[in-house]
Amino acid sequence: MAGGYRQQPGANSGETRKDGKRVAGKQKFPPPGSGGSRPNMAPRDLDSIPESVGGKEPQPAGSHIHDRYRTGTEVGKSRALVDSHAKVTGQAWYGDDVRLANEIIGKILRSPHHYAKIKSIDTSKVEALPGVLAVATGADATNTFGVLPVTKDEHAMAVEKVRHVGDLVACVAAVDEATAMEALNLFEIEWDVLDPVFDPRKGLEDQDEPIHWRGKYHVGTTNVQKRVFQEFGDRSLVDDPTASSHGKWRMEGVHHGFTEPHAVVAHWDPNGRLQLYTPQQVPHYAHRALSTVLEVPMHQINVIRTFVGGGFGGKSDPFPHEMCAAILARKAGRPVRINFTREEVYWINRGRHPSYIEVKMTADDEARISGFDIDALIDGGGFASFGHVTSYYNGVLATAPYELGSFHYTGARVWTNKPASGAMRGHGAVNTRCAVEVGLDEMAEQMQVDPIDLRLANLLPPHSRTISGFRITSNGMREALERVREGSEWDSKFRQMSLGKGIGIGCGFFISGSGLPIHWDPNRFPHATVHMQIDMDGGVTVHTGAADIGQGSTTAVAQVVSEVLALPIEMIHVRSHESDTSPVDLGSYSSRVTFMNANAAIRAALDIREKLLNAAWEMLGYHPDVLVLNDRRIYYKHDPAVGVSYLQALHKAQEDKGSLIASGAYRSPPMGGVHKGAAAGLAPAYSFSAYVAEVDVDVETGLVSCTDVWAAHDCGKALNPLAVEGQIIGSCHMGLGQVLSEKMVYGRTGHLQNPNLLEYKIPSVHEMPHVTPIIVESSDPEGPFGAKEAGEGPLLPILPAVVNAVYDAIGVRIRDLPLTPDIVWKAISSKTRSLGGIDETELPSPRLEHSPLQATLVARGAEHKVRDRRRQRSEDTSAYVNGVLFGFDPNQPLEDQVEGWKSAVEPVPEQLAELGLAGKAWLKKEQRQMRGDQ
Amino acid sequence: MLMPPFNLHHPETVEEACELASTFLANDESFDWVAGGTDLLPNYKWHINVKKHVISLANIKGIDTISMHEIGAMARLGALADSEDVHPLIASAASKVASFLIRNNATLGGNICLDTRCFWFNQSEDWRRSIDWCHKEDCGTGSDCRVIPNQNTLCVATYQGDIAPSLMVLEGLIHIIGPSGQRQVPVNEFFKLDGITRNVLESGEFVLKVTFPEGVEHRVGSYKKLRVRESWDFPEAGVASSWIVGQPSSLRIASTALESVPRYHQSEIDAIEEVFSSDLVGSLSKAIMKSIKPVNNTALPPRYRKSMVRVLTKRSLHEILGDKA
Amino acid sequence: MIPSAPKTIWEAIVNGQEVQAIAPSNAILLDVLRDEVGMLGVKRGCDLGTCGCCAVMIDGEPRLSCLCLAGQVQHQEITTVEGLANGAHLAPIQTCFATHGGSQCGFCTPGFLMSAEALLNENQDPTRDDIALAIEGNLCRCTGYQQIIDSIEAAAEIKRGDAPAPTPASDPHPNPHPEGPDEPSMPPGHAR
Repeated sequence: MAGGYRQQPGANSGETRKDGKRVAGKQKFPPPGSGGSRPNMAPRDLDSIPESVGGKEPQPAGSHIHDRYRTGTEVGKSRALVDSHAKVTGQAWYGDDVRLANEIIGKILRSPHHYAKIKSIDTSKVEALPGVLAVATGADATNTFGVLPVTKDEHAMAVEKVRHVGDLVACVAAVDEATAMEALNLFEIEWDVLDPVFDPRKGLEDQDEPIHWRGKYHVGTTNVQKRVFQEFGDRSLVDDPTASSHGKWRMEGVHHGFTEPHAVVAHWDPNGRLQLYTPQQVPHYAHRALSTVLEVPMHQINVIRTFVGGGFGGKSDPFPHEMCAAILARKAGRPVRINFTREEVYWINRGRHPSYIEVKMTADDEARISGFDIDALIDGGGFASFGHVTSYYNGVLATAPYELGSFHYTGARVWTNKPASGAMRGHGAVNTRCAVEVGLDEMAEQMQVDPIDLRLANLLPPHSRTISGFRITSNGMREALERVREGSEWDSKFRQMSLGKGIGIGCGFFISGSGLPIHWDPNRFPHATVHMQIDMDGGVTVHTGAADIGQGSTTAVAQVVSEVLALPIEMIHVRSHESDTSPVDLGSYSSRVTFMNANAAIRAALDIREKLLNAAWEMLGYHPDVLVLNDRRIYYKHDPAVGVSYLQALHKAQEDKGSLIASGAYRSPPMGGVHKGAAAGLAPAYSFSAYVAEVDVDVETGLVSCTDVWAAHDCGKALNPLAVEGQIIGSCHMGLGQVLSEKMVYGRTGHLQNPNLLEYKIPSVHEMPHVTPIIVESSDPEGPFGAKEAGEGPLLPILPAVVNAVYDAIGVRIRDLPLTPDIVWKAISSKTRSLGGIDETELPSPRLEHSPLQATLVARGAEHKVRDRRRQRSEDTSAYVNGVLFGFDPNQPLEDQVEGWKSAVEPVPEQLAELGLAGKAWLKKEQRQMRGDQ
Repeated sequence: MLMPPFNLHHPETVEEACELASTFLANDESFDWVAGGTDLLPNYKWHINVKKHVISLANIKGIDTISMHEIGAMARLGALADSEDVHPLIASAASKVASFLIRNNATLGGNICLDTRCFWFNQSEDWRRSIDWCHKEDCGTGSDCRVIPNQNTLCVATYQGDIAPSLMVLEGLIHIIGPSGQRQVPVNEFFKLDGITRNVLESGEFVLKVTFPEGVEHRVGSYKKLRVRESWDFPEAGVASSWIVGQPSSLRIASTALESVPRYHQSEIDAIEEVFSSDLVGSLSKAIMKSIKPVNNTALPPRYRKSMVRVLTKRSLHEILGDKA
Repeated sequence: MIPSAPKTIWEAIVNGQEVQAIAPSNAILLDVLRDEVGMLGVKRGCDLGTCGCCAVMIDGEPRLSCLCLAGQVQHQEITTVEGLANGAHLAPIQTCFATHGGSQCGFCTPGFLMSAEALLNENQDPTRDDIALAIEGNLCRCTGYQQIIDSIEAAAEIKRGDAPAPTPASDPHPNPHPEGPDEPSMPPGHAR
């Protein structure tokens, strides 16, 4: 019998004592929804209750602190998203579906110049056009804003100069679209056209008129927006390497390609409050920026997040068009709607940075990775956006999952006269991850070892520290590698397939929530807050600011509340659209929502749970420790017939105070190093992933098609496996686009040549390989029920897996992304020429003959496997820091053990000469230092 | 996106359509024809070459015939792709056009008369303003060509229709009708000059149907298309070939998406004096590759596209010869 | 105000209902459906025929409403996503998109549903390749298409009768409404 019932619910129904008292164990069970004494309470789902608390759910990674709150109701079960019915019936309301009475249409005038000063704007003819109700220019809102408080460099509309073609110059609202469009032709503007910069390499040079001016922090008179230098470890280890890889990459910019174009509706209500409807991932940042730009206190603004038709990072900045709509609506006194065309979507951009990346890697005689040396020059476009963070992420997120002898990173982000780059799924980590994983593949080939074994013998264990001081908790990297190796039948395919067919491996490592909330001190205000309210009807209303952008965050929050309270998910109502009712939340970025919001929601739900149990205690006389929650009923553990319905307990708990209200918050523990930039990349947990991709390369045309992917991702615990698999497969699609076909093409003249979905080539269903998603559950100790992120990390490994597979197929390493057929064909041609002009079909396929090192790696991998398992299950709780593999004592500061162990964030003068491309940004001095020289 | 204002007309017969056209011509009013709209409407949404009137052919009955020897201009590409009545080469070429959804709107006539394309041209009005327009749509400014600067005599926009080369190698005949009556032009003579002139249609004329000679059913054909994605994409290069098995002189080859007009490669075939066989595929493919000159105005670079003509031709010829891949 | 093209009365049968709308003669079907008829489930993604978010069925055939002149489909039968469900009873294809992960952000979903429903009306036993062909004109950025194909396969099974029909949307749970407080409650300590 399930759940330890003495008796199946419903048996012997109707049997009562004459005195009206209950016969223990022989009562009817309650109907869904109420509890009490009705016959059909669902039996406990022991398959979804962990072993450690008496259920049957296996826990290979050990028990979890949340186990005792598991009721087997929702967690770990594949389920439809709670808002899916709105989506399949067409009732989900996206930005363009907000239609307010009396609304008018706003249009934005955009710059025809790459870079120009605005000498004057004459709007008189615009204003005179019948039907025009409001006109605004940069002068109407001169306060700057930006997503990061340290780099506020945007205006609602250009104030002094425009910085790229498509930059906002002015806006107009009119009774209809045709009038607004006509009005745009009537602006009279005098321009002073400046020399634009398109090539990020040029951005490192001094210029007469830098695109932005940062005052005393400006680097020379260049366009360098941010530069980073980081050096950790023992640099002497890289001398005399057994294997080394040196690759120079060029990666094109890519766009999020969400299907819903930006759209915004602004309405100043009769009380003078701004109601702003916008599909935002991070409504709170928009809220702050609106307040600054409009000079209206935040409490007089209600940001209403509509359904979001895909975000992927592209809807996380506060946007100038949101300001424009508000300004126009204030002027016109009527609601203003602005819809973007697809071209405008590309012009506002915030996609992945076009990058020049150089990676030097070395391995020593035991095939340990003695050094990573990364240089990343990233093209920021016209504005800072998230670029400050991206500059760090390009380096620091490459410091794991491997144990490194040393790590050296120089990064620079420069402004250019192109649409601004920003955060996109896998923020900052994607490009360098690809470069590093391909370098590992190359080193494995030099050492004649299997690249999977090379990785397995160099992994950081669970509960360890990376070289730059990140705290790794749960770590499913090893299991992920093992499972894709097995699933793909790697050992019988790698380096054994015929020309044109190839298989490749890639790994990933990503943050599960940023450890530092950008706008406040995490010691003074939590990362996430969730409010919960239950009234007499028993329905649970959850207020959260987490923005559901399709990833299912609302569902995840509803699921954890449902799990803790043992209520069907239909009774959990998540309200997350309005800033008026939602607690402040940082929104959906840095893969933080599941980890932080679900944790906060669990805490609020636990508060309610305690109140319910205490009420039941009072009613039943049994201490909460021996009470069980299951399907709207609370009963005595050893006699399920003795219990009260959820509603009875609830009403008891409400006796004195009415509605039950609870608030839960999440704050990450203090962690990380103290060096400058230590907070970048810091997260309460990290996700790990390993993919194997199989490709077909047409050697005559260079067309690459990816046929199969085995994708293992460690998400800690899959709260909703269906959604996790959806994230994995979707990430494959997006990553494949970047590696095979997507690029933002800036032509000879610096214009974006493909601002539409026909020429910006997102893979169609035919390009999609068959993906086998493999969920690895490492049960994170701090994650909600053990969960970590699954939204961004799964994107990382697909790029290197495909690039490595292409090498396996044709024996040519290509470091220009995307691998469009012309690029691949060119690489094949130069290879065939170098081999004496042979035919493409005669290319030699790479083969592998294991060297003695292979046995060393296999042995070390096996040893580490035991080590990792013990650490994962907390059987071994000793300290472990990066460096142990190289023989260092984890309990002593490494600086004391190794002469030359470094932890530097600025180059010493001797290093300046040998810095890579981005490192050259350090050749210039900041303005304040220049003044000091005088 | 806002449609620019125009008047849409729905003639119900060919005669009515011609009458409308002659009225507009007489009044010197500009107009366009629209069939499925999948080529014209994007350009209109971008405010490219918008005319005052648009005459829809959708309501004219009887011009959507689908058969081995005759295909009406209004035959939908989706229907052609699924049809077992048309020549398999036509069905195959039609099935490779754009996407399933677009094929349900698009028509044969529209595909034949596809406007030429160029990434300096197929852009919004704002975008084109930012490059000071181009030669193909200069908005009265006399702008230079952006692909090859300092030559504003010819437009080098690329013709990216998928079906024309197949019609050519099946020796199709295009029936044109207009205010001055009906005429017929072989498909290989239909396309003309540059990216602006495009074809031999005079003002007021439109394509009525395409017919094929007796015996076309004996032809074996193959169309090879180069594109990055298997859906949506226009051809970056396309080669069609056909012959009547065992009759070397019946070999026909045509290419598309490489120049401003699709190319009929009879002269390259004629230049090779030997009898067509598998041994000849290599040299013929090379000759055809050498004869074309793509420019840089589509997604892939011209040098690559040119090289691919050899591969596509080779594959197409091997297929009609029944050779193993 | 800028004069538009001359307005005409546009008539069609939208989701089984005769509608009349006043629209410019050059109006695009997408604009008429959204702005005049009020079918906001028809989405505008790219407006140029690539994304498929605006797909509707015209006389049973899935077509792009953004590249269709409204005037060309006068008096024809148009089905939008709003016309799929039978009252509160979702069509199998709708339920399956929800339960099989076919819809994430949901913006492309209406278009996919149209392409899928049209396919299933013609072919109740499609292969995965058949399905891929039917949805090749629809762009999805979230799902990578795989779960969409799963959803369509599942719906085909229901249509063929190989799987049970979904429970109506109006009844998502046997009894989601908890009973009132009139139930007998047990005093503390009762069980001892």
